Amino acid sequence: MTYDTVVIGAGLAGLTAALRLADEGQRVIVVARGVGSTRLAPATIDVLGFADESVDSPMEALPGFADAHPDHPYAQLSTELIRASIDWFKGRLPALGYRGGLGENFLLTTAVGVPKPSALVPETMAGGDLRAGGRFVFVGLKGLKDFYPAYLAENLSQVSAVSARAIDIAPRVEGEADVGSLGFARRFEEPTFRDAVVRRLEGQLEPEERVGLPAVLGLSSAGDVWRELEERLERSVFEVATLPPSVPGIRLFEAMSDALRAAGGRTLIGQPVIAAETGNGRVEGVVVQAAARPTTYRAGSFLLASGGLAAGGIEVDSYGKVRESVFDLPLTGLRDANGRPPFRPTYLDEQPLDRVGVAVDSELRPTDADGGPRFENLYAAGATLAGAAPWREASGNGLSLATAFAAAGSILKEHS
Amino acid sequence: MASLETEVLVIGGGSTGAGVARDAAMRGFKTVLVERKDLAHGTTGRYHGLLHSGGRYAVKDPEAAKECVAENAILRRIASDCIEDTGGLFVSTPWDDPAFGDTFFEGCRATGVPVEEIPVAEVLHSEPRLQPGISRAFTVPDAALDPWKLVWACARSAREHGAEIRLYHRVVDLERDGQKVTGAVLHNELTGEELRVRAEVVVNAAGAWAGEIAEMAGCRVSVLPGKGIMIAMNHRLVQTVLNRCKPPADGDILVPIRTVCIIGTTDMRVVDPDELEVTQPEVDEMLDEGEKLVPGFREARALRVWIGARPLFSPEEVEDTREVSRSHALLDHRTRDGIDGFVTITGGKATTFRLMAELAVDTVCAQLGVDRPCRTHMEPLPDSDDGQFYELGARLRAREPVPQSEEIICECELVTRQRLEKAMEQRQTANLDDLRRTVRLGMGPCQGGFCIYRATGILHAVERLDNDEANAALLSFLQERWKGVHPILYGDQLRQARLDDWIFQGVLGVQHLPT
Repeated sequence: MTYDTVVIGAGLAGLTAALRLADEGQRVIVVARGVGSTRLAPATIDVLGFADESVDSPMEALPGFADAHPDHPYAQLSTELIRASIDWFKGRLPALGYRGGLGENFLLTTAVGVPKPSALVPETMAGGDLRAGGRFVFVGLKGLKDFYPAYLAENLSQVSAVSARAIDIAPRVEGEADVGSLGFARRFEEPTFRDAVVRRLEGQLEPEERVGLPAVLGLSSAGDVWRELEERLERSVFEVATLPPSVPGIRLFEAMSDALRAAGGRTLIGQPVIAAETGNGRVEGVVVQAAARPTTYRAGSFLLASGGLAAGGIEVDSYGKVRESVFDLPLTGLRDANGRPPFRPTYLDEQPLDRVGVAVDSELRPTDADGGPRFENLYAAGATLAGAAPWREASGNGLSLATAFAAAGSILKEHS
Repeated sequence: MASLETEVLVIGGGSTGAGVARDAAMRGFKTVLVERKDLAHGTTGRYHGLLHSGGRYAVKDPEAAKECVAENAILRRIASDCIEDTGGLFVSTPWDDPAFGDTFFEGCRATGVPVEEIPVAEVLHSEPRLQPGISRAFTVPDAALDPWKLVWACARSAREHGAEIRLYHRVVDLERDGQKVTGAVLHNELTGEELRVRAEVVVNAAGAWAGEIAEMAGCRVSVLPGKGIMIAMNHRLVQTVLNRCKPPADGDILVPIRTVCIIGTTDMRVVDPDELEVTQPEVDEMLDEGEKLVPGFREARALRVWIGARPLFSPEEVEDTREVSRSHALLDHRTRDGIDGFVTITGGKATTFRLMAELAVDTVCAQLGVDRPCRTHMEPLPDSDDGQFYELGARLRAREPVPQSEEIICECELVTRQRLEKAMEQRQTANLDDLRRTVRLGMGPCQGGFCIYRATGILHAVERLDNDEANAALLSFLQERWKGVHPILYGDQLRQARLDDWIFQGVLGVQHLPT
């Protein structure tokens, strides 16, 4: 089977690149070991939240940040290109109603009540913007063990200018005590359940208070659920992201998968790449562990978006050997190249292995020690890349989106 | 300074101290136990959990083996709820001399360890992951002993008999009146308050720290801590306790206990039991030895590594000890040093904790001039009255008929919300690590990735901690966990750890919490 491009990995990076390529008429296939971390993540597009301190405007902060971090993937991308990726994303997935842009970061609370900057946020979360101050009430749902509004509100009142309080409601959930995020998301799609929630909230809300709920307001019809709650409660309502599985993340994954399918792209989940065929400085094919037998997929270009240490794109064995798992690409960001992964004894310190990954050139091609491309037609994007500390910088989804968008651009250029 | 009076003051909340407190209380002594941290926070809670059959000592230390034989039988009777009757095997791997099997067998027979040689094929059938190259296999009545349950059961029993237990109380000084120890001054580590306890006899059961305590009474007790590392693997690679059939050495025991299995251990003399660090060669040694017992060991997920400080008493450095056996040391300081009202019991092992306690309280009786017989070998511990051994899957069995009756806060260890809230109420603690030792919160494969945020939220709600205290509880648990995780991060467990990091630092942003 021959494709224009084989994408390895179905996270935000893999799906972004595949969608952009499919939109441009390429025959694209995504092969992935699993569904990727999109379904675990809050679905905000964090481009740059923390540099030396909290970032108000990624647009303004990015050039300086790239200069200060020459090994960071952002150093390979122009701010203009990053902005183009943001605009493309907003325009390409209108149903998710993303708000914001590169100019100014939203400031949303996390589930423990600390503010986190994000460039783009789903419409269901935008009402939680802390920048304007005001009064907030956070609502706990009995049966959801992944959200503690009183703890959140107390921290948030202390660290931000907003006033926050918490209430708990117990809308009837028959026969289940341990409902979970997905269980509640499905129930929020039922009108009777929404009625029950509204009834229990009415009378408990104070004037001008914005209402923060855990991010469980429906799956496929979340926008409608959220709008209905805002209308009926006559105030701003917003979702707060919490532990995996992430309901907003699932919405994002489903929306991107659907868009890719509609654009003619193909996706194989649960089929890991087990070997690569290379020759003459090019990748010729990848061998995928399919249900019946290993299958080889050939293409003009290949995009590696298999993730970092968490996803298994980069592996460490019990002898401390660190390895890129598909092509055995050279890794950088490994401070102790010969020794064991030197984790530090203090948990919240930056760990030496945090920035390990694949170094790329300006076309997003993985490079050899001499800086030239390892393979002419292999590109990489997302958490596989070296040099970033996504959660410390609040840059994870932004990095995946921007580098995948840029890699797709390079692939299109190669094919044209 | 507040003060209280008692007859017996026990220093140390490990298995020995808890055993002494129970024994003394059962003999009718007014008893107070003090522990500088949590119960079983020290060596007891950091061992592999093996209830010895005696087989391990049968060749090298027959006296210790005989004690194990007797105590193994007693603990099966009085502490059944703390024991999983896994059985034990001694196997000769290709790296072990098969002829040692004969020496081992004879040693067991001579010391009374129930032993039987069984066909290798039979063993490989029941333990399919076991090294297929083994040449001989022997069964012995080893078992898995849950150290936390054991210590808490002793403590509960002691309380039922009137003893008082004070945790997070560190001894800062022992008080003497002439040649008699009269009590101790304690520092409450949580409140900062000081407390004076007057006692007729002080029992030093501080294990690896016994030398420090004895020094406060002006006695010299030479206890050199022996450093032993252990690694817990994420599930039970074997269902039977596995021992290498060779003279005792590093990494020769693999114990399946609760949801994990634990490989141990090393033995290295160190100076300070509070300053122990895991080194890479030690980790590699454990993994390599594990590989010999269970091929593929290095590809399995290693959850956590920790170090225990074994109390190693050095009798050659002191004279006139009343050493009962080479395995533990009972020091009557009245006859040994001319210091009245002071007894040290140290060395030994969890399997013989009850015997050690009995001997210590016998000495207390002698010092006080009373004759009260020990009854600890006859009365079962709380929850062990029915004689039923703990069974793997007990928690699941309790949950399965009613899967949706309440929230499960820790999915790895099946800790329900009700159980957690009850533990929070009983323990009255803001320390999540104390709760871990009580209900096994966060001890499974995800190492607290999901349950610790939940437990913090619940602590904040039910204990009415303010946010600063809740934040401190969360962050201190994460640091404590990291200590046991970072030296062994590789393979799929590294992926798990990265997911956890991402939850805490990416989704929740705990690094930005106010403290």
